[in-house]
Amino acid sequence: MVLRRPVDCLLGWVGGLIALATAGAFAWILWDLVRLGLSQVTWGFLTGELSDGGRSGGIGPVLVSTAGILGGCLFFAVPLGVGCAIWLSEFVRRGSPWARAVIGGVDLLASVPSIVFGLFGMTFFCQKLGLGFSILSGGLTLGCMILPTVIRTTLSAMRNLPSDLRPSSAALGLSRLTMLREILLPSAFPGILVGITLGIGRALSETAALIFTSGYATRWPASLADSGRSLSVHIYDLAMNIPNGGANAAASALVLLALILAINLTASGLGERWRSRQTGLRN
Amino acid sequence: MSRSHADRVVEAGLGLTALLSGGTLLLIVWFLFEGAKPALDFGMLGHLFGDGKWQPGSVRDPQFGVMSMLIGSLLVTGLSILLAAPAGVLSAIFLSFYSPARLARGHRRLLELLAAVPSVVFGFWGLTVLVPAIDRLHPPGQSLLAAALVLSLMILPTIALTSVSALQAVPVAQLQAAAALGIGRPRLIWSVVLPAAWNGVGAGILLAAARAIGETMAVMMVCGNIAQIPASLFDPVRPVTATIALEMGYASAAHKSLLYAAGLLLVLVTGALICGMAFRRQTETSLPRSWS
Amino acid sequence: MAKLRISNLSIRYGDVRAVTDVTLEIPEGKITAIVGPSGCGKSSFLQALNRLTDLIPGCEVSGSVKLDDQCLFAAPALDTISLRKRVGMVFQRPNPFPQSIRRNFEIPLREHGTPKREIPAIMERALTDVALWDEVSGRLDQNAGTLSGGQQQRLCIARALALNPEVILFDEPCSALDPIASMAVEKHIQALRGRFTIVIVTHNLAQARRLADSVAVFWLRNGSGRLIETGPADDVLSQPRDPDVVSYLNGLNG
Ligand SMILES: Nc1ncnc2c1ncn2[C@@H]1O[C@H](COP(=O)(O)OP(=O)(O)O)[C@@H](O)[C@H]1O
Ligand SMILES: [Mg+2]
Repeated sequence: MVLRRPVDCLLGWVGGLIALATAGAFAWILWDLVRLGLSQVTWGFLTGELSDGGRSGGIGPVLVSTAGILGGCLFFAVPLGVGCAIWLSEFVRRGSPWARAVIGGVDLLASVPSIVFGLFGMTFFCQKLGLGFSILSGGLTLGCMILPTVIRTTLSAMRNLPSDLRPSSAALGLSRLTMLREILLPSAFPGILVGITLGIGRALSETAALIFTSGYATRWPASLADSGRSLSVHIYDLAMNIPNGGANAAASALVLLALILAINLTASGLGERWRSRQTGLRN
Repeated sequence: MSRSHADRVVEAGLGLTALLSGGTLLLIVWFLFEGAKPALDFGMLGHLFGDGKWQPGSVRDPQFGVMSMLIGSLLVTGLSILLAAPAGVLSAIFLSFYSPARLARGHRRLLELLAAVPSVVFGFWGLTVLVPAIDRLHPPGQSLLAAALVLSLMILPTIALTSVSALQAVPVAQLQAAAALGIGRPRLIWSVVLPAAWNGVGAGILLAAARAIGETMAVMMVCGNIAQIPASLFDPVRPVTATIALEMGYASAAHKSLLYAAGLLLVLVTGALICGMAFRRQTETSLPRSWS
Repeated sequence: MAKLRISNLSIRYGDVRAVTDVTLEIPEGKITAIVGPSGCGKSSFLQALNRLTDLIPGCEVSGSVKLDDQCLFAAPALDTISLRKRVGMVFQRPNPFPQSIRRNFEIPLREHGTPKREIPAIMERALTDVALWDEVSGRLDQNAGTLSGGQQQRLCIARALALNPEVILFDEPCSALDPIASMAVEKHIQALRGRFTIVIVTHNLAQARRLADSVAVFWLRNGSGRLIETGPADDVLSQPRDPDVVSYLNGLNG
């Protein structure tokens, strides 16, 4: 590649510098987190109770609450989202008014800011349904939030299935239920899993929607009806409300980042494998 | 037949899940609207834009001036787009036309990771690293500038990644035609590629704007949260989202319903941005893809 | 004896009239070939015979089709599931389910109520009918997608045979295969004569000559597919009456 003219040269350099700066900023953030927090991350930190408002001690109860919130979230969003996507791909005509209304609603739902989900979750789940500040409320709120992610990925997985699966199943006299259960869903499963994984990633990252739904409690949660803070809320609380909470906040942020990285790698690995399987079938 | 009966039951069940999924949005808007009702009358409107201050909880002298927060949201979002859009588009150009393929792949991975970093982590980093740095430059540190910087770093990956795919969707035949005419790379990018990709790039910027205006945690942790119209980049601001997050816990009566109204406003604005984005995407795909 | 009686069958996709006013009898136990240029509605016609047209949004079928005296479309119509068990189909592109070879048999057989323990024997018989048993018996649990194109198509035929249908519809079963695989598939279809009523769409007139007992020629007239000539294979293929068919046969033969 020869950069001949000055403008060409300039464009290449400016673009390159910006790309470098982005990478630099990422490295800078990572380095600061490692510098501030890595020495705190030990087995005891991951399993221990919080003490002194979180300034010292571990994040055991927080991890348990986070898992509870995720569980509630998936329990709500996976059946609803996968069901909706199957209905959209198999039971209505593409472009029919009903399909467009549902897809439009789902896409707009994806644009709703997370703090609004928090507002809604507090009003509907905590107050109206009487679930209070609880892990369940937080999970359901996040469930609404990741619904579009699950639906969109599942829908594209279903739509990208080889198109002759449906006529070939029908020609063998399979009922729609059998076709779905035995043929379409197994083939689309890895794609659906990618959607769920992406949804988990979004749910793990969320803070604003949880502050007023699952609350701040730091004790070991006894049930889903207990209040409990997620990892992200814990980081926020340590950073904003607890003086000298920085080290533990950085350590928690490292744990959160590691979880998210693992989730992302899983999703892209699954996606890769799925694509190669799909193309492998076409030969 | 019992089998076709089972089919019909399944269809009805799935239809119900679709109805619930599509209905979630309606439910959200409905609850926001219900909550906001007391605030949505003319008497209140005069207060919103007439009052000078935001002290809705005060018993003796309640004031409901929201201008400072609307302006705060606009400034934070606008500045971050101003920073991130050129940077994102330029790095997309670099990745598509200048960098070696392997470097481009690696950098895309990096951008995807950056896009996945939770906002509370950005906020924490901004609070512990960026804010003290700005404070040394010009106190107090928690400022419009800090919010815009953190936010632009958060939306940069969105803009860069959507721009890369928009640039790469330009038909190779067009590039070859231009190259065959002896057109140099900068002119090729400026006169051939960008016009063809502009809808896709614009869609990415709208998406980023919707994210930026709705962002809460990262902004709230570094912006200072003082409801005032900032006189300089170094003054604290308080955007709409931060106001909801900070006051929802204790607000009551008119104050509370104003927070619902703010939520409704956010939904409307981000919804409009997303509709604009979908519209751009549509016009893009309806253009003739190859004319060779 | 006619197995299928089609009268005044018309098929339209929205405004496109794919097939107009076809009346035809398909003799039992014989091979009927349907030939004609592309786009003249052969596939559409075939898909109406097992109501696969139901799957296509906007597709309307009028006229009547009777399988042994039972109506397909008019009430009291056969339900589609038992209809499709009785009328099997093999497509142009091999389309095994992307699962193991065994599952390709288990799923449809279980659906139609075959007891689990009978499945291995049925599968073996069907695979033997298409000479695939020796090639795959050692790897029944491998993904069917790993077979070659010709093997996949023979698997699809075996899968249709396993349901023991009365009629089998073939829609250009050889046109996606190489010549050797194509000859193998043709040989197996030949061997099914008498056991099943067979309707085969083919582009290959030589194949029609080798296989068919009777032939139906479809043609595009006034923008729609119509049946323009039908009769015993020898008559239609050697002494066609319709001038279009004459030039079609000459063009392809010469
Ligand atoms: N799903 C469909 N939707 C709309 N038109 C179709 C569809 N399938 C076939 N057609 C139209 O019907 C006509 C007949 O097609 P087809 O039955 O596939 O013919 P053949 O198999 O003889 O080539 C063609 O004009 C084709 O464009
Ligand atoms: Mg055809």
